[in-house]
Amino acid sequence: MRMPMCEACGDSGNRDMAVEHVVVRSNDRVCEGVGLMVLEAPATASKVRPGQFVHLRIASDREFMLRRPFSVHRAHGGTLEILYQVLGRGTRAMSLTQREDRMDLIGPLGHGWDIPDGLTHALLVAGGLGAAPLGMLAEELARRGVAATVVMGAPTGERLVARDLFERVARRVEACTDDGSAGEKGFVTVATHRLLDEGGFDMVYACGPEVMAKAVAGQAFEAGVACQVSLERLMACGIGVCLSCVVATVNGQKRACVDGPVFDAREVSWDVSEIPPRH
Amino acid sequence: MSPRSLLGTDQGSGGAALDLSVRIAGLTLANPVLTASGTFASGREYAGLVDLDRVGAIVTKGVSLEPWAGNPSPRIAETASGMLNSIGLQNPGVEAFIAKDLTWLAAHHPDVPVIVNVSGHTCAEYARVIERLEETEGVAGYEVNISCPNVEHGGMAFGTDRYAAAEVTSACRAATGRPLVVKLSPNVTDVAEIARAVEDAGADCVSLINTLLGMAVDTETFRPMLARVVGGLSGPAIKPVALRMVWQVAGAVDVPVIGMGGIRDARDAAEFMLAGATAVAVGTANFVDPATVTHIVDGLAEFCRTRGIVRVADLTGALVTD
Ligand SMILES: Cc1cc2nc3c(=O)[nH]c(=O)nc-3n(C[C@H](O)[C@H](O)[C@H](O)COP(=O)(O)OP(=O)(O)OC[C@H]3O[C@@H](n4cnc5c(N)ncnc54)[C@H](O)[C@@H]3O)c2cc1C
Ligand SMILES: Cc1cc2nc3c(=O)[nH]c(=O)nc-3n(C[C@H](O)[C@H](O)[C@H](O)COP(=O)(O)O)c2cc1C
Ligand code: FES
Repeated sequence: MRMPMCEACGDSGNRDMAVEHVVVRSNDRVCEGVGLMVLEAPATASKVRPGQFVHLRIASDREFMLRRPFSVHRAHGGTLEILYQVLGRGTRAMSLTQREDRMDLIGPLGHGWDIPDGLTHALLVAGGLGAAPLGMLAEELARRGVAATVVMGAPTGERLVARDLFERVARRVEACTDDGSAGEKGFVTVATHRLLDEGGFDMVYACGPEVMAKAVAGQAFEAGVACQVSLERLMACGIGVCLSCVVATVNGQKRACVDGPVFDAREVSWDVSEIPPRH
Repeated sequence: MSPRSLLGTDQGSGGAALDLSVRIAGLTLANPVLTASGTFASGREYAGLVDLDRVGAIVTKGVSLEPWAGNPSPRIAETASGMLNSIGLQNPGVEAFIAKDLTWLAAHHPDVPVIVNVSGHTCAEYARVIERLEETEGVAGYEVNISCPNVEHGGMAFGTDRYAAAEVTSACRAATGRPLVVKLSPNVTDVAEIARAVEDAGADCVSLINTLLGMAVDTETFRPMLARVVGGLSGPAIKPVALRMVWQVAGAVDVPVIGMGGIRDARDAAEFMLAGATAVAVGTANFVDPATVTHIVDGLAEFCRTRGIVRVADLTGALVTD
């Protein structure tokens, strides 16, 4: 019988993590409902790898208390960039923070994107805020001389976040919008299907709504291309103890905060969106 | 009246060394601040963030005989000043616990007392987990969880009926001579009655409270926030209820009480001790600030020093009600 729990349990992958007290450098509106926060966080910025995240304590003693997980969009010059969508209490409080405000984070956390040696051409697929963890990856791929094609999707052209960054470092950027206000009209999966058909990719990196990630994973599988996905789960501790963030995989239940958020798409049990109780 | 005269102690704060140690169930702990089960795993993940050697005792995540898969996701929801969880005691079973967690603790933190939190579907299962652990070193004692609201069979079903509670306690008592703590559920009408029943059945200590059964609804989707619909409420929201129950139980039994529920700082911890707790445990607050336990240890020392209290144990039950 397979253990219904990760093998790595207790074997924390987060060896570099620390609590870091950080200062808000800037916090600006990017588009409707999306902000970009720049944090002065030299310790974390020097350690973080693409696809990892930080567990942010946005404010203490407000109406919420738990930390919120955010991918590191970019890290440079001792700062972290966080691209965030305003959804609820935590992100609303985040949108109200100002330059010089202080907060703390635990980071860097999680297992990020694997970049195998010898990679030649990667396909990056960003659905909405899925662009967040792909920013650092696109930069790292460029630094290593790996070609990148980016497909990004959003409801409208205005909401194609991080498009400038991708256009700066990627070989090619294709946009898809629900209303056709920029790029192709329709879902990213139409573009990814066409591109994977054309061939030439040796890795797919996807982040976005889980239905999108699942569809792209299926396309990559059909095309015989390896695929990694970054998955979101509700997280209380962020460091592997509370088991609130489990992901069903073919190797048992894993924790998104330690074993993920990036998983090999073939490892994820896509059909088990909910894990039935055993008893 | 100052707390000093209130406690009848006349030692000044200046010279006398502060004694933070407490005794529970035959164990002497270096300080009264423990980790609450399920919020600290076995400490390993926290090793880089907290000085584990300064924790009064590590109370582990619930351990069962066989691996348990836990409940469907979503398993947590944040609520006003608290959180709901329906993890469902997911754990890899006692063999994996011994092989990974106990081995690691023995190698890296041999001096920290480890209290193993035990779960089961039946009395026999609880006892068998303990029997297996009896064969190993590195276990200071057991905390029997008869109060988990997140499993269908066992868990809270035992903790809400005094006969069932006594039966599990007896079965566990028969399996060990090590210190036996029984963890009580707040989801009862009369917690003191259950506490007396487990004391009579041989518990060396009681701990409380486990989470309060609760629920939250997403008004966008009309769905419950937890896949299991209901779950256990923890965090500051439950502190007044926890404190009241600790006070009731401390007045009803002779064995020591470990108090928990919403503790975030040294003042919260002191409240529980004044209400009758000999030691306290910190749960949800670990998620917010991983160093909460050590901050509370330092804070309690400061709390005592500024009040001329030389033994933290003197806080226990020092509530003035007249
Ligand atoms: C590893 C990881 C990386 C992430 N990176 C980013 C990022 O770079 N940018 C970004 O904008 N968001 C990111 N998220 C999601 C982000 O954590 C949530 O949007 C945020 O916690 C919501 O907080 P809130 O208080 O505003 O919302 P709440 O009031 O808590 O909830 C509002 C709504 O958001 C949903 N929600 C809450 N938490 C999460 C979550 N963890 N994942 C998905 N949905 C959630 C709730 O179900 C609810 O519908 C990431 C999540 C994870 C797990
Ligand atoms: C995520 C989570 C998991 C828990 N798991 C267990 C468990 O395995 N066994 C147990 O006896 N109590 C468990 N508890 C209950 C806590 O140990 C504690 O009794 C409760 O949360 C109240 O304390 P707090 O408000 O400080 O969190 C859990 C609580 C939380 C929040
Ligand atoms: S968030 Fe707690 S285990 Fe992943």
